[in-house]
Amino acid sequence: MRPKVCILRTDGTNCDEETSYAFRKAGGNPEFVHVNQLRSGALRLRSYKILAIPGGFSYGDDVASGKILAVELISFLHDELQEFVDAGKLVIGICNGFQVLVQSGLLPLNTIGIRYATLETNDSGKFECRWIKLITEKGSPCIFTRGYDNEIMLPVAHGEGSFFVDTKWPEIGENKNCVALRYSEGGQPADFYPANPNGSLYSIAGVCDPFGRIFGLMPHPERFVEFSQFDNWRRESIDKPHGLQMFENAVNFAVEL
Amino acid sequence: MIQVVRVGTKIGTDVRGQSCFTEIRNLGIRSIVGVKTARVYRLEGIEPEDASYLAEKLFTDQLTQVFTLNSPLIQFAARLIEVAYKPGVMNPEAASIMKAVGDLGINLVAADSSTEYGFFGTPSDEDVQFICDRLLVNKTVERVVIEPPITLIISGERGAITIIPICRMSGEELVELSKNHEWHLDLEEMRVLQAHACEIGRDLTDGECETYAQTWSEHCSHKTFRARLIVNGVGKKPLIARIKGTAEKFADGLLSVFDDNAGVIDFFGGQGLCGKVETHNSPCALEPYGGAMTGTGGVLRDIFGDGEGAKPIASTDIFCFAPPDFDPEKLPAGCLSPRYLLRRVVDGVRDYGNRMGVPTNNGSIHFHEDFRAKPTVIVGAYGIIPVGKCLKGKPQPGDRIIVIGGRTGRDGIHGATFSSGEMTDQTVQVNASAVQIGNAIEEKKVGDAVLRCRDEGLIRAITDCGAGGFSSAIGEMGSETGIHVALERAPTKYPGMSPWEIWISESQERMVVAIAPENIVRFFEICEALNVEATWLGVFANTGRLVVMYENETLCDLSMDFLHHGLPQRVLNANWVRPEFEEPEIPVPSDWRETCRRILSHPNVCSKESIVRMYDHSVQGMNALAPFSGVNHDGPNDAVVLTPILGERYGVIISHGLNPILNRIDPYWGSVWAATEALANFVAVGGDPREARLIDNFIWPYPDEQELGALDRSVDACVDIAEAFGIPYISGKDSLSSTYRGKDGTVIKIPPVLCISVFGKIRDVRKTISADFKEEGSAIMQVGLRKLEMAGSVYYDLHGIVGNNLPRVNLKEAVRTFQKLHRLIARGIILSCHDISDGGLFTTLAEMCFGGGMGASLELGYAREEKERIDFRLFNETAGCFLIEVRDMDVYEVQSLGMHAEEIGRTIASEVISVHNRGHVFRADLDELKEFWQKPMKEVFH
Repeated sequence: MRPKVCILRTDGTNCDEETSYAFRKAGGNPEFVHVNQLRSGALRLRSYKILAIPGGFSYGDDVASGKILAVELISFLHDELQEFVDAGKLVIGICNGFQVLVQSGLLPLNTIGIRYATLETNDSGKFECRWIKLITEKGSPCIFTRGYDNEIMLPVAHGEGSFFVDTKWPEIGENKNCVALRYSEGGQPADFYPANPNGSLYSIAGVCDPFGRIFGLMPHPERFVEFSQFDNWRRESIDKPHGLQMFENAVNFAVEL
Repeated sequence: MIQVVRVGTKIGTDVRGQSCFTEIRNLGIRSIVGVKTARVYRLEGIEPEDASYLAEKLFTDQLTQVFTLNSPLIQFAARLIEVAYKPGVMNPEAASIMKAVGDLGINLVAADSSTEYGFFGTPSDEDVQFICDRLLVNKTVERVVIEPPITLIISGERGAITIIPICRMSGEELVELSKNHEWHLDLEEMRVLQAHACEIGRDLTDGECETYAQTWSEHCSHKTFRARLIVNGVGKKPLIARIKGTAEKFADGLLSVFDDNAGVIDFFGGQGLCGKVETHNSPCALEPYGGAMTGTGGVLRDIFGDGEGAKPIASTDIFCFAPPDFDPEKLPAGCLSPRYLLRRVVDGVRDYGNRMGVPTNNGSIHFHEDFRAKPTVIVGAYGIIPVGKCLKGKPQPGDRIIVIGGRTGRDGIHGATFSSGEMTDQTVQVNASAVQIGNAIEEKKVGDAVLRCRDEGLIRAITDCGAGGFSSAIGEMGSETGIHVALERAPTKYPGMSPWEIWISESQERMVVAIAPENIVRFFEICEALNVEATWLGVFANTGRLVVMYENETLCDLSMDFLHHGLPQRVLNANWVRPEFEEPEIPVPSDWRETCRRILSHPNVCSKESIVRMYDHSVQGMNALAPFSGVNHDGPNDAVVLTPILGERYGVIISHGLNPILNRIDPYWGSVWAATEALANFVAVGGDPREARLIDNFIWPYPDEQELGALDRSVDACVDIAEAFGIPYISGKDSLSSTYRGKDGTVIKIPPVLCISVFGKIRDVRKTISADFKEEGSAIMQVGLRKLEMAGSVYYDLHGIVGNNLPRVNLKEAVRTFQKLHRLIARGIILSCHDISDGGLFTTLAEMCFGGGMGASLELGYAREEKERIDFRLFNETAGCFLIEVRDMDVYEVQSLGMHAEEIGRTIASEVISVHNRGHVFRADLDELKEFWQKPMKEVFH
């Protein structure tokens, strides 16, 4: 059985099709669901095993990136979301979806409506689209990043991706294993531009909740599930497109749910 | 009562303030030592408690930001300046704020947002004014808030429909009438209109005159391209007929050409490929940010509006500006600084394209100081469409006329007629209403809805509301039937618009669709589900008339036949005289490295990576060849390759070419160069030249006899190259108004631009290649015939010379070279390939080295018999020539094919370029060259 994946859409979502493709290729059964359909009750989150909030510019990123969709989710779907994550199902937010998860409080600590982190304007002050290197955090409970041993490459494309937390982060974040992915160079966390493309604190590129089931990241794994999507496939041989494993991990986990 | 929430930075950098401060320093102002900014939200119709709640829940990021309610936020600044959109200019953020506030359970009457700048230090009034003028405020759409607004609600009384007594007017009065209303119709055309009015026995309404002016504008009806030409006394076919002739002759695989919003060619998997390239010069000259946005939005709507609706897969951008370091003091009156124009146009493309989720992945920028009065901004869009949907149906009597998307406002009135006129120093004041700010999210929703409705077979016909607004979109759609419109039904942004304004407004993000009565319910359902406003405006009727009512009054009652066929064909004289430029002998460089650095940092040659990185060029995940690749991802490629259907091997290649300065010398050879360059880019990455399809864009000075003569030569060149390669044009556009006339008599003509865009299919994207060198010790070969004609080159430009002896591409030779090269690439023999263009062979080589992270050693002497100048050899820009990298064992094979191919060097491990000519000439360090190559755009886009 292919697990059903809810690809959440709203005004300004624009990475929905490639995210859907990645899940389908990984063995999932993705469906596009407009937030209006959840608000009206025409569709229910509980009929899905994975919730994916794709990249894009939800509501134009007006006021702050991901803010307006986060407000909408908190205002109208609070209980349904809580039920979904309490059931141990998976949530992934990519780029703008990550911003939504952080704005809503789902990341890093699964506290809907209460926030411990934010994603700030890039230090460069600019939207930037480029390939960057990443390492996964050893010992992270994150379901999505399982089995990644080596440094990987993915594209980033965002203007507000600088992960920021207040000074309490080491105790609340690192201790709860919330870091899942870091920007890197030569296998080590990178704290310089452009290897760390946005100035994220502690080179953090992706975080998960303490159980590893809610995952958000700025890079776009869905843009590297075919070898030809890599900008240097003509000069570097690729065994398996680096983003694909994240979707396979999710699907394999969800099959068991 | 308006509540004012101000939000500022608590922890971390105020990035906006920082960036503003850097720009202030760049202006040379030292009196300011720091800049802080705040966002200002004005909320009308709520109490302070609610505003405070919203400030906490919505507007402020509690971790990093602070807010104030109804009190100042930035403390101790020497000066505070608030910059807001002018009332009536649509602020796209306002709608989002209204939505979010509603979601939080609070009812708001109106909202607005703006930005406050606090300047620290000791700025003088003049400094602040200068900063506002140069950096912060574009007076066309923005203002400095002096008095806080009392209300955000725009009100107004609508004007009545007026009758214009055209029948009794003298010739002088007719000319005056056209001028006062910005119709840009000449006396002859006004006379035709007058005669028609007399014939039907009544004067015309304002709405009727406006409809004629829109439909007959150069922008909408391309009168010059359709005119009968007398060239040097000899009659010739209209320009448009010559170009279209290529599509009739080479019609294989063409699904729809020259009669829809975009051209469509056959692709794989039951899909067609669409292409459309537009210009948006006039709006960008006045408001570059909004102009670039609406330009991008407009061309993407051409894709959505093609056939029964197509899906955009790529957009392209090609700009011509004055150099960014051009002295703003030397600008003609009423013109914006080139640096500001460049930065803001890029911002506009970025903000629109990225929000739409359409990758911007091919483009270029050319600089010449004669673009200082009027820049050239070319925007292209490509899409896919199921073959069965690529021809739209004909609206049937009884079909509904429905408008979807944004509301109609006063913004964008007279865009079509304004674009058709020359620019003067008064243009800024008079035509402020012709420009507007785009709202990409609105368009994204509209696009999503269109594609859904298309897939369910609900759309009979569709077109975008572009130039001329409803009058053109609905008028054209119903040209073979007739229409009846109830205009008062059109949703407007605010009250007070006169009927004629609603009828011709070019407000963005609107599309008009024809829907059969049985599909109405489902159509509205889909639109509602996707938050798209849809409104029934009228019906198609079998009357042959264009009838527009506003409540019970008649705004228009016109004959469709006269509207669309009443304008007589023009007869125009053209007479091109070849200009003479100086071409003195120049010395061979004494300092080669310095010359190379200057070539690479020339604005036409330097890396544009800083710009491309700001565009989301990888969204949709289709890139099989990105704009840049290589060891450090910074080696430029010649074209983009996309796989529009994820998981499939087949793809599309998109490229382009242009060379404005050559058109000044001789538009025939300049145009041959542009098309050859575009095709060379296509072939260099692996494209089969037989699969290339062409799109032409002419951006020309106002067509007086000389310029029309130049245009005639350019079109002849376009046709010759199509004939030589056996390929057609499938779409095209002309914009013939790029002349500036100042009050003081200054006349500035742009160097004529012919931009050729090329796109075509490829069966397997694995058979495409990139430009970065792959292996150390490979052979570097030069392919193609070069004659070292140097006029118009960057090398000459460094010496301040234009020259006369411009590259005359040998088309027969180019065809042969391209076909053979393509076969070699398809066989996998070629490791990397890059075409030779601006900056010559040396630039091509350097870029391949940058990408490959390895050096090259050139030996120019041993392959050549005759004595040639090494500098000309290195910097000549003849189009249609390439550098390729092959393994030693393949050199002979490449040479045995009967094309011009010679081995000129090898790739080497050490990161230098060394040049020999039977002896050492010079050696340059790659790191240093790269720094100079990247620096110019990094400085502009810091």
